[in-house]
Amino acid sequence: MAGKEKNVARANYPKLYTSDPLAEVEPELRAKIGEMENYIMKNCLWQFNSRGWDRRTQNAGILGKTAQLLAGEEVETPTPMEKCHWVDAVMLAREFRERCAWLAGMSGDEIRAVIGKLHARIDWLTIDGSLNQELTVQNY
Amino acid sequence: MPYHEFDCSKCIPERKMHAVTKGAGEDLTSCLPLGYLNTIPGTISERGCAYCGAKHVIGTPMKDVLHVSHGPVGCTYDTWQTKRYISDNDNFQLKYTFATDVKEKHIVFGAEKMLKENILEAFDAFPHIKRMTIYQTCATALIGDDINAIAGEVMEERPDVDIFVCNSPGFGGPSQSGGHHKINIAWLNQKVGTVEPEITSDYVINYVGEYNIQGDQEVMLDFFKRMGIQVLSTFTGNGKYDDLRAMHRAHLNVLECARSAEYICDELRVRYGIPRLDIDGFGFKALGDSLRKIGLFFGIEDRAEAIIAEETARWQPELDWYKERLMGKRVCLWPGGSKLWHWAHAIQAEMGVNVVSVYTKFGHQGDMEKGVSRCGEGALAIDDPNELEGQEALRNLRPDVIFTGKRPGEVAKKMRVPYLNAHAYHNGPYKGFEGWVRFARDIYNAVYSPMHQLSALDISQDAIPGDTGFMTRRMLSDATLPEAVRNDPSMRPYTGAFDPIAAIRAKTDYPEFPRRSAIEAAE
Repeated sequence: MAGKEKNVARANYPKLYTSDPLAEVEPELRAKIGEMENYIMKNCLWQFNSRGWDRRTQNAGILGKTAQLLAGEEVETPTPMEKCHWVDAVMLAREFRERCAWLAGMSGDEIRAVIGKLHARIDWLTIDGSLNQELTVQNY
Repeated sequence: MPYHEFDCSKCIPERKMHAVTKGAGEDLTSCLPLGYLNTIPGTISERGCAYCGAKHVIGTPMKDVLHVSHGPVGCTYDTWQTKRYISDNDNFQLKYTFATDVKEKHIVFGAEKMLKENILEAFDAFPHIKRMTIYQTCATALIGDDINAIAGEVMEERPDVDIFVCNSPGFGGPSQSGGHHKINIAWLNQKVGTVEPEITSDYVINYVGEYNIQGDQEVMLDFFKRMGIQVLSTFTGNGKYDDLRAMHRAHLNVLECARSAEYICDELRVRYGIPRLDIDGFGFKALGDSLRKIGLFFGIEDRAEAIIAEETARWQPELDWYKERLMGKRVCLWPGGSKLWHWAHAIQAEMGVNVVSVYTKFGHQGDMEKGVSRCGEGALAIDDPNELEGQEALRNLRPDVIFTGKRPGEVAKKMRVPYLNAHAYHNGPYKGFEGWVRFARDIYNAVYSPMHQLSALDISQDAIPGDTGFMTRRMLSDATLPEAVRNDPSMRPYTGAFDPIAAIRAKTDYPEFPRRSAIEAAE
């Protein structure tokens, strides 16, 4: 029974956003984040694990590590799962550096802020604003 | 929500929410069809059943196994040989299929006794095969035959055999996808952890959700071997039964088809702590990135880069040749499930075609999320279409080619739309760098087929030109190309072998990388 209770709990993850978190962002920054969003949605698969709670973990793990890499910080990978997140983050950071030249002129704090907004947008698209009715299924 | 209502389905209003057109500014919060729901009464679905999903898609690509259906013979026949998941043991699992051939009297009096006789007879007929899978069907599920009990009896009497029982009768889900789920979990519960493998590398993976269509798995295994990676098991194409019992010892699950096999990956993550890394073997960029990711995970990215450089140098000029000739061609990408997202972006970016529609027969909304994201504006996304909707979409969209299964493919051909088999391929493999060029070649051959040009003439109405010679594909494809492109020496059409798999199977010169333990001992 303990396992079942855990599944119910993880399926009932809290919503973080009730509307597009980037709706009020200024157009220039919105366009920059849009470039990143477009790359992720066209080329990546990690944001589409089948359950909402799992997507939350994936998005936070990979985009969190991407921000660290872009800001030049050390990234730790104590578990195999975090190592997988790091792998996808390395790939993403490389693409962003190549495609988003404007990142080069940003400080670590600015990069973290931009990736934070990107993270919110990806969470909105794939979890909180998603129309996918299977995200809250208790089992895989 | 930009729902699309088909004229032919106005009498089935529930269908409207199963199709969307991706408009300007649309994203997944406003544009996603319903999916993975029971087929609506009144619409003739093209789906398979849960038994088919378990047996045909996932179970039977295992190569060293007697695959037995406990049910009427038709269930077996209709899941036999229609998908080219070849194997390197002379295609044993494609050549032979087994059924208990349940009749009316068994429905009345029970079929367990007859099942046991069949199991023993099959093992006796093939004494070199010691592994068996048995698939429940609708008929034997309804009469309550206890297949597990019979399998247990046989394994007790014959300790050298092992039997896996899959309880996924046809009615066990909205579509074949229900069967994918059931067999994933059944295999994990019954068999994983019952064999301890020999570990020969520091880098050990399970290759999951790969079915060796025309050799796809063997192409990918070649890359992994060149990187010094031990592939403990493949779930399930060209896979061995006992290797799949040892999945719990891998360091990493590399997942190809998330639609059919994410369940076992996710449960291996929970139960054994093995992480899941999604990859994509189709397309130069996606495949290159996939090899890099695996290389990064193990700290051997340089080995991946060497392969990518070699393969890209060999095959890019040939992919470019086709891209120039396929630019702007309109494609309906109508596969069963995962290929709608595996291919949607890659064929547009690397072959220059325009995906005007995606559909899925048994996919979930998660598959459509990926597919819709990877399409451009104006694409029509359809869930579980019926045949009339397919015809209406073809009439409206006027694609140059369609990638789909053989049943809707034949319908498309009659509507004079060239069709490529998205499930079993035409001239695969399509994975790998060379495979991707073979796919481009097949698309080119379909789009510019002189036969299709001729078939567009209606001999009952059209004037048939009798004074012109036959056209060739090249005459058709190059007619409007600039001369600089037509004669560009840096590009060429496909120059690979008719059968690239034979060379891979004959290959023995894989590099040997010393194990970490040996290096540490030397230091």
